[in-house]
This record gives sequence, structure tokens and C-alpha cells, in this order.
Amino acid sequence: MSAVLDARGISMTFRNGDEFTKVLKGVDLTLDPGELAALLGASGSGKSTLLSIVGLLLRPTTGTITIAGERVEGLSEVDRALFRNQRLGFIFQFHHLLPDFTATENVAFPAAAPAGGITPAMRSRARELLARVGLSDRMDFTATRLSGGQKQRVAIARALMNEPELVLADEPTGSLDRVAAEQVLDLMREVNREENATFLICTHDEKVAARCTRRISLSDGRVESVVGAGTSEHSQ
Amino acid sequence: MFALSVARRYLFSNPAQTALLIAGVALGVMAFVFITALIQGLAIRLTDDVTANSAHVSLEPPTRVARVLPSPAADVESVAIVSTFQRRQIRAWSSTVALLRSQTSVSAISPQISGSAFLVKGEAVAPVAVTAVDPSGLDAISPISTEIVSGDASLSADGILIGARLAESLGLSAGQPVLFRTDRGVDRLLIVRGIFDTGLQSLDERVAFLAIQTARPLFLLPEGVTNIEVKLVDPARARGFAAFMAEATGLRATSWQEKNANLEGALSAQAQTGTLIQIFSLISVLIGIASALSLSANRRRGEIGIMRAFGVSSRFIAAVFVLQGLLIGVVGASIGCVGGFALCSWLATMTKPDGTMALPIAPSEGGYVAVFLLTTLGAVLASVIPARSAARLDPLEAIQQ
Repeated sequence: MSAVLDARGISMTFRNGDEFTKVLKGVDLTLDPGELAALLGASGSGKSTLLSIVGLLLRPTTGTITIAGERVEGLSEVDRALFRNQRLGFIFQFHHLLPDFTATENVAFPAAAPAGGITPAMRSRARELLARVGLSDRMDFTATRLSGGQKQRVAIARALMNEPELVLADEPTGSLDRVAAEQVLDLMREVNREENATFLICTHDEKVAARCTRRISLSDGRVESVVGAGTSEHSQ
Repeated sequence: MFALSVARRYLFSNPAQTALLIAGVALGVMAFVFITALIQGLAIRLTDDVTANSAHVSLEPPTRVARVLPSPAADVESVAIVSTFQRRQIRAWSSTVALLRSQTSVSAISPQISGSAFLVKGEAVAPVAVTAVDPSGLDAISPISTEIVSGDASLSADGILIGARLAESLGLSAGQPVLFRTDRGVDRLLIVRGIFDTGLQSLDERVAFLAIQTARPLFLLPEGVTNIEVKLVDPARARGFAAFMAEATGLRATSWQEKNANLEGALSAQAQTGTLIQIFSLISVLIGIASALSLSANRRRGEIGIMRAFGVSSRFIAAVFVLQGLLIGVVGASIGCVGGFALCSWLATMTKPDGTMALPIAPSEGGYVAVFLLTTLGAVLASVIPARSAARLDPLEAIQQ
């Protein structure tokens, strides 16, 4: 079984004037298909930077990244956007739904924008996903009429629209109350199990990490520990 | 087109702001239409005023120029003497009139004998500019018969028509005799058959009309005419027509524009002023669109960031903002054109107490096609800056804000 994600020797240095800050110091990370992995770490540990690099939103200073068998670190900006659209799913702390669009349209958007419109097949898939996340009765509601938890569920459905090989979530429950956060976590676990979707969840919340099948702790730009099933990750 | 659908949704998401934006564009377009219609209307009125009582093109004999003749001996220079005794005339005027009649752009032709004379009434003497015409074509150039305030417009063999101011200065009234003395010293007693009042001081004070047959012996011109006056269907084409006639006949052809160079200069200056106002109207419209779309792009940074994150192309994002500009431009310009036409039409119905138009406005001359195209194109261009800024947004930076 080949890895969904294989990141090797990832380092990242930010420059601010004459000052250089090394945020990641040679991180290796591998995820197998169907894993639900938590990326833990205190603020400033480099977890969000690593997630952005894996999500092709940021280019590492050094290192190689292979997603679903394809080397991606050398892709052009246009190809990176295309790759993100077709192979990755994103869930952020703030859902950033399009407020003027219905839940169905929001979910279908990642497929519709490159295709030039929402086809009946896209609409059907979007509604199927909304039903899957428990929003059958909110499909035609505009985003402004949904609660915070409902919005994040729409964001999860949107992340799954193009059947991505890897879903990246950055503090997905960070802006939700306790009840809504529990529901969203349950949902992600359910989708992970039933759809065999691979999740990498970036969080600083131990309770979120406890629901995952693997915990990868980052500290000072290095992998500090790995707990749970899966292959090895380490810092160099 | 999905980008158009997104652009439309963005505009409808804040109806009040979009309505204000479109209203701003429409007002700018209305200002453009109003200024254009006013300037064009003023130009039309001034042109009409100038050309109503004068020819659009005047044909005259070529100017006499003294010239050196070939000489049999090297030390002798022969010069052709220019005779100033014989009046300059167009001898073959019939063929010129025939050529003019064949031109569809010509609406009226008046072969004339023009000259200077004096009218003598007792001790009073007044200089007059004489225009001698065929009696049947009296109104060809200037509608004199409709301006008669005393007597009638019949140009009999011994008759003369004079202006009201001239009649007043000489103490003449219709039916009275007056001594007519030409610049060649020929005298004849004529009867004032009619007195006209055109309202133009230069005409009413200095011009007298005679029958051309009456004028021939007085001005010693048994066959020719001194000038041929022409009216055109479209006065604006007088300059080109004058050039054509000069080429075709060898005569000196002068358009009304050449005769009124000052007016042309004033109209040109007025048009330039109008153009400046039009440009500023458009610029204010475009700045409004650019700033509103920039605000919108800024307000939607999060949404744009997430779209970019899940791989929507920067071209798609740019298209959404450019299409918003296009929609605002098309709708605003359309409303502005309709509103501008309505405003100008209403202003055109307003009159002064004497019944004339309060504003010399020409609603049909509002430059509608030009302003529509300019506004639409400008709106698209104005949206390019916010579109580029939105398309270049770093998704990570936008999402983390």
C-alpha cells in the first residue's frame, strides 16, 4: 500500500529583513491511505507551516513532497492550484463560505469553478455530501442562514467534493462551541472511516488529537513524537 | 459562465451599495449626455443663426493678380495691367448654375449682382450693400419676403427693398421714391416697395434688394453676375463643397465657415471645454467603480483566499471582478443614457417668455453610443486594478487574517 503523503526533509526558513527564522528543521512525515492523523504542537511549533507546505500553499526551503505518488514540490503555481483543486481538500478554522451562495452551491464550488458552472451531476454530488454531513434540510439555505457548526459541516462537505486523496484541516473546531466541535469531530471520524479519506488535522487541542488514530507532535520545528498506528516520522 | 454568475451574486449581495454605485455611474453618464447635448445644441443654434440669412458657399470670380508677361527683349519687362474699371464678373454663370443644379447636396442657388451704392433722400445719404437677384429667387438665400413689415416683397423693374433701420435713418416708408446712386456714378429713381426687418442689424441697416435686370445697367453688367450664392442641404459640408466647386469651375469658392472663422474658433473652444467636462465626468465614474470594487475585494479576502486555496484559478477570480465592473458599466450607462435623454428632452420643452428655448439643448445629440461604450470600457478597465489585486491574493495570508 503506497503512502498518500510522503514528505522528506522539510525545512522552512522565513526571512524578515535581515532576520532569518527557521520554523521547520528537516521534518519527515508519511501518511497511509485512510489515516486520521493529528498534528499537535504549541503555538509557534511549526504545525500550521507544515500543513501549508503539505497543502501546496507554501513552498518549503528544502525537502521533497510526494502526494499520491506524484512529486509536487517543483510544480508551477498554475499546476499547484490545479493539484490542490483535484487532489486535496481543505478545512480551515474559519469556514469562509461564500455568503451569497446556498449550501449546495458552496459545496459544488470547487468542481464548478474550473468547469465553468454547476452541472446536474455536481449538484447531485453536493447534495449527497450535504446529506452525508447531516444537512439534508439546509441544502438550499444561503450560508448566512446557517449556524457556526452547520457552516463547518458545509466546509467539510466542500473539502470532499472533488474526492481528494488527502484532506488537510487547520484547527477545524477552533471557532466552534463545545457541542458543535464534538459533532464536527464525530463527522470527520465517520467520513474517515466510511469514505476511507485520509485526514491530517492540525490542532493544539489534546481532545481533538485523542479522537485521531495517530498523534504527531511537533516542537521547535521538529517531530517530537509519534503515537499510534502508521509508519515512522522523525526529525533529522 | 460561472464567473458571471458569481459576479452577479456579489453585486446582489449588497443591493444598497450596488444601487448607489450604479446611481453614481448613471449620474456621471447623465452629466456627460447633458453637456454633450448642450454643446451640440448651442453649436447647431449658432450655426443656424449664422447660416439662416446667408449663403453656405459663395462663388466669385478669381482675384485679379498682376502678372509678368513674356517679353521679346531681355532688357524689357512687360506686365499685364489689372483693370479695375471693369467690375469682376462671372460671365459663364449659366454653366456654373447648371453644374450646381446637378448636385443633390445643393438646396438653393442664387446668381447675384452685388455692389455698393448710396441711397439719397433729400439731404440724407446712406451707403448700401446691394444684392440684386432674380425676383422669383428672392428668398433663396435669406427669407426676406417673410420679414416684410411694410409694403410687399415684389421686386418690380423700378422697385427696391430696404431694411427697417435704413428706412428709419432715411425717413423712408413703403411707396416712397429714393435716389439710387451706384459706385460708378449711375443714378436712378427707385420706389421703396417693401421694408424688411430680419432682426439682424447688419442686414436691416446696410442691405438693399433689387431685381437683377434693374441692376444690370446700374452696375454696367449687361450679361454676367458678380457672385453665385449657394445653400446646401447640410451646411456642415460647405467646406468640402467649396473645394469641389473651386476645382470644377476655377472660381473662388468660400464656405460660410471660412467667412466666420471667429465663430468656428469659438465653437471649437466650446467643444474643447465640453470635452474636458466629459473627461472629468468619466474619470469620476471610473474612480467610483475602482474604489467600490477594491473595497469589495478587500471585504472578500477570506472568500477569495479559500477559493484560491482549493485551486480556483487566479484568472477566474480576476474575471469575477472584471465582470462586476462590466455589469455596473452596462447597467449604469444604460440608465444614464435613458435618464440623460429624458432630462434633455424635458429641458428642451422649457421656454423663455418670448417663446424661444430656455436652453439651446439638442436631446438627440447626447453622444449616447460614445458615452455608453466609453463608460462600459472604462468600467472594465477600472475593475482591472481590484481584479488583479484579488487574483494575486496570497491564499494563506488571506485565510489567516
